[in-house]
Amino acid sequence: MTTDTTPILEVRGLTKHYGSVVALEGVSFKLNRGEIVGLLGDNGAGKSTLVKCVSGALEPTAGEVYLNGERKDFSYPGEARDAGIETVHQQLALVDTFDVTDNLFLGREMKYEDWRGWFGTLNHRGMRKRAHAALAQIPATFPDLDAAIQTMSGGQRQVVAMARGAFWEGRLLLLDEPTAALGIRESESVLDMIRALIAERAEAMIVISHNMEHVWSVCDRLLILRRGQLVADFVKDETSKAEVVSSIVGAH
Amino acid sequence: MLTNIRFTATQARVGVLAAMVIFFSIRSPVFFTSRNLTNVLINASVVGILAIGLTLLLVAQQVDVSVGSALAFSGAVFAVIATDGGSLFLAVLGALAAALAVSALNVVAIVRLRVNSVIVTLAGFVGLRGVAKLVLNGRSVQFEGFEWLGRGRVPIGSFIDVPVPVIALFIVFAFYFFLMKYTRFGKHIYAIGANPEASRLAGIRLEREVSIAFFLLGLLVALAALISVSQIGATSPTTGMGIEFLALTGVVLGGGSLRGGSGTAVGTVVAVVILAVLDNGLVLLGVSSFWVEVARGALLLGAVIFDELGRERGIRMGL
Repeated sequence: MTTDTTPILEVRGLTKHYGSVVALEGVSFKLNRGEIVGLLGDNGAGKSTLVKCVSGALEPTAGEVYLNGERKDFSYPGEARDAGIETVHQQLALVDTFDVTDNLFLGREMKYEDWRGWFGTLNHRGMRKRAHAALAQIPATFPDLDAAIQTMSGGQRQVVAMARGAFWEGRLLLLDEPTAALGIRESESVLDMIRALIAERAEAMIVISHNMEHVWSVCDRLLILRRGQLVADFVKDETSKAEVVSSIVGAH
Repeated sequence: MLTNIRFTATQARVGVLAAMVIFFSIRSPVFFTSRNLTNVLINASVVGILAIGLTLLLVAQQVDVSVGSALAFSGAVFAVIATDGGSLFLAVLGALAAALAVSALNVVAIVRLRVNSVIVTLAGFVGLRGVAKLVLNGRSVQFEGFEWLGRGRVPIGSFIDVPVPVIALFIVFAFYFFLMKYTRFGKHIYAIGANPEASRLAGIRLEREVSIAFFLLGLLVALAALISVSQIGATSPTTGMGIEFLALTGVVLGGGSLRGGSGTAVGTVVAVVILAVLDNGLVLLGVSSFWVEVARGALLLGAVIFDELGRERGIRMGL
């Protein structure tokens, strides 16, 4: 049953071990429609591992993931994507030698719809048109959309990665450090994109960040991970930055 | 921007080829005759077919050094069936099955078990040569009635008879050119080679795409084996010896890199023709074949350094 009160994402007892190293241990939480949840924690707390387990990039050792109340076992990232989960990974996951269009459509290239598509022929012109239209709406400038990604600055690449997450209209967006290594202006445009996305099409979002100000400015709820365990679940309006920080570092 | 770079890598290679053709035409009266140029292309065809298949593998960050031994194995299976009273059709099927079995082994070891492709195919390079000897009992085998593929000619228009191996090379080239440049599969192979992790996260099925590249190469190995044995009308355990490195020289000379993500069908074909012209031209000028090998090596080194300088300059200039 899917109703408006069914959480868009529910994670139960999610656990990931690498040999004897415990990256995640019994993490459970629900994500409701319309929420932007910040995922916070020190380095090695398990934030990226959690996102990767939900997005099909890693197979959890134990635990379950439910999407709209339905149990999901993603065996590779394409399955999670097809189910409506878009992920912007921390290492950006862009192909340096490809241009913006090819990166936007990576793994989901458009083929011709007519006879030309019989051989898997790519509709490059169509992809380019759609990519340029999508990027025209983003408050960021690119020197040359047809140049390889490796010619772009870190900020521009980040915007391309974010644009890809937005472009596919996923229902659940997972953003791993979307503002890391960005300047003030670039961070602002990424944060604006996050706000616009939740207002327009995404149903929920998880945002990982080290930057408390950024998290505070866009998130409604804050989950705190420490050494692989979920140690706190704050509603932003009912807590303070000081309380969140002490929860992250484990001070009482 | 682009102002400092005058040539693309492929243009530079076409230029080198043109310069060589002009040089040899001036120095040798025999070089620029249709008979000799046809010979050059025939000599390039078997190496070219293998090199094109290897280009796709190198783009995907894989390599196969066993194609020469696999060719010998495939040819040996053909010869044994053909001379043992089997039909030519069965013999061709046997050659195909042998080459695809090698691909299947490579796929299991490299894609499933994740052993490095250099190591796996090095084992094939050594081991399959032995298998070919076992199949042939160490002897050379002759057969008749299978001349067309290696020695036949197809009249095109009323003036030129194009050798069948050259037509085969052209068909393989056209197929790979289209596959690599215009299809989703080709795009995925370039993505996998340039950034395997990004490709995986983007939902590309690396295992499937790389496996297809290995099986396609298997088909080409069988084709190359059939052309080789048909050209000679015989096969022996030493058939195709050293051809893997000549083909790989062609791939790298054509712009392929062991780092993956680069290389094109056009570049490889131009490079293989450069190597064939070099061979032929130097022999016509009476240069010793020892020097031919030295020249090949020098050319390869020169091309790699040219590309590396171009790449570094590109990065420094923010290209």
